[in-house]
Amino acid sequence: MADEVVVLEGETIGETYLNQAQIIQAASTTKATAIHPGFGFLSERADFARAVKEAGLTWIGPSAEAIEKMGDKMTARQTMRAAGVPVIPGEEVEEEDEMAALEALRQASTRVGYPLLLKASSGGGGKGMRAVHDPADFDQAATGARREAVAAFGDGRVYIERLLSGSKHIEIQVLADAHGRTIHLGERECSVQRRHQKVFEEAPGPTMSPEIREAMGQAAVAAAEAVDYVGAGTVEFLLAPSGEFFFLEMNTRIQVEHPVTELVTGVDIVREQLRIAGGKPMSCGPLMIRGHAIEVRLYAEDAANGFLPSIGPLSMFRPPEGPGIRLDTGVREGDEVTPNYDPMLAKLIVWAPSRPEALQKMRRALDEFVVLGTTTNIEFLRNLCDATPVVDGSTTTTTIDDLWPNGWSPPAAPMLEEASLLAAASAETLGLHRRTSTASSDDAGGPPSPFTTIQRRFP
Amino acid sequence: MQHTFASKEGPLEVTLVRQGEAFVLEGHELTSHSRGRLHIRLRDGRQHLAHVAKVGDVWWIHLAGRTYRWERIEPGSSNAEDEGGLVAPMPGKVLEVLVSEGDEVEAGTPLMVLEAMKMEHRIIASTDGTVSSIHFAAGEQVVQGAVLLELV
Repeated sequence: MADEVVVLEGETIGETYLNQAQIIQAASTTKATAIHPGFGFLSERADFARAVKEAGLTWIGPSAEAIEKMGDKMTARQTMRAAGVPVIPGEEVEEEDEMAALEALRQASTRVGYPLLLKASSGGGGKGMRAVHDPADFDQAATGARREAVAAFGDGRVYIERLLSGSKHIEIQVLADAHGRTIHLGERECSVQRRHQKVFEEAPGPTMSPEIREAMGQAAVAAAEAVDYVGAGTVEFLLAPSGEFFFLEMNTRIQVEHPVTELVTGVDIVREQLRIAGGKPMSCGPLMIRGHAIEVRLYAEDAANGFLPSIGPLSMFRPPEGPGIRLDTGVREGDEVTPNYDPMLAKLIVWAPSRPEALQKMRRALDEFVVLGTTTNIEFLRNLCDATPVVDGSTTTTTIDDLWPNGWSPPAAPMLEEASLLAAASAETLGLHRRTSTASSDDAGGPPSPFTTIQRRFP
Repeated sequence: MQHTFASKEGPLEVTLVRQGEAFVLEGHELTSHSRGRLHIRLRDGRQHLAHVAKVGDVWWIHLAGRTYRWERIEPGSSNAEDEGGLVAPMPGKVLEVLVSEGDEVEAGTPLMVLEAMKMEHRIIASTDGTVSSIHFAAGEQVVQGAVLLELV
């Protein structure tokens, strides 16, 4: 899709994606005038936002100050309280020293009460986060959360929130331009999570009322305005069964699940980000929500084995196609999944006029998605589409644990298993593995790729 | 045509029957194939297209939305048994070793903490026993399947 591609030198995430100097160098080599940081860790690094500006480039994102205010989750909670946005009951602990912090956290835990959540102040992506149900497990959980936070963010400060079970994770997409206009684009529900990472996201929320949407939308706009926000961002809330909602955090970037909002509102959020970064007013009109969109995250992981990340070659990678199906991915058939990066392979997004139709389209799309050579969560996602809370829209943040308290395993299908053995034995007999490489020999016809014929390495 | 595949219950002997152009197993029929895709008719009459790929000794099969893996055992090769070692479920780095050699542990005791993809994973004792040897220290990199420590 890119006009020009620069391959980053190095193997690990630190040497490549998180190597700010190398990325700014690549911009100067290719005479790019602006940098979009994507939705990874780099997008919420205030120092990178500053470095980009200091290099004379345009930063496509909010100001470094807004990133800092919201990126430090403890500061964000304090800012939101001051702005009158309800926050989850809990306590911030500012101690840096290991022993003193543990002691302060221990004391705070008794005031907040169990069950509780430990969260890294610099956290994100579920890293440095621990749920604690029993005081006996507190010390171990706190030590683990601090260590993970130090490793991932270089900041071990953690805070405590009461664990609100039975709640939905609802988030509001906001956009703000430099002309003083701040709007919201409605909600996404992302309650279905494993290891505190989202796996199934949809818009609009299946149980959302216009009144709650309006109240939450206004709270989100107030949150953005409290930090003079300019750009695209997401304000996350927990929605309790009572209809009360609490501020969780603000993500000062475009999010992984933004496509579901794009599909139901017709707003191209990245296009708006570019307009805003260019100093133009945003182009969206009044909020209109049409139909229903669902996204699932395809991970290289073994869902039947505690969702452990998996690695291997993508010997075959055949996404589904058809009207209403969108695939956002950065991998291709023949690529290798390594332990150096996040295990997310792709996002599969569907749109249909109604929620039941969207769910049906997702089932079909997952059935047709072929990935061989690396274990993925496709069958888990497919199974999820049939789960009662997903079908009736009653999902909460504990849905996966409630559905599969002892871990997920694929439903038995003895006849298909036998037939798969027939396929394996037949393929061996026919010598299918000896026919050049699977990646090219059985490509679905069509003209040969120009990149193969000119022998250029792509990207 | 006979092939042997590994399964949880031990080696699985599979005998394919050739009927004209087709291969048959337990009433399921492979009717034709092209470009790595196999046309399969199940015993109950349903028809599916299977995609297959081989990685090392393992056949990966995608069939009706399911993915199956069958590791082929070469004739004459010996199949090494697991020796009670606790292996790394994934490549990563040892963060912490929580036990020492000679320690007696109960099933469920955390023994080691691994880090991979920036997430922590605990290696837990599967049975009661004594830690007989520890093969890695904190800070060392491990490959998937490496025996980390052993319990007797």
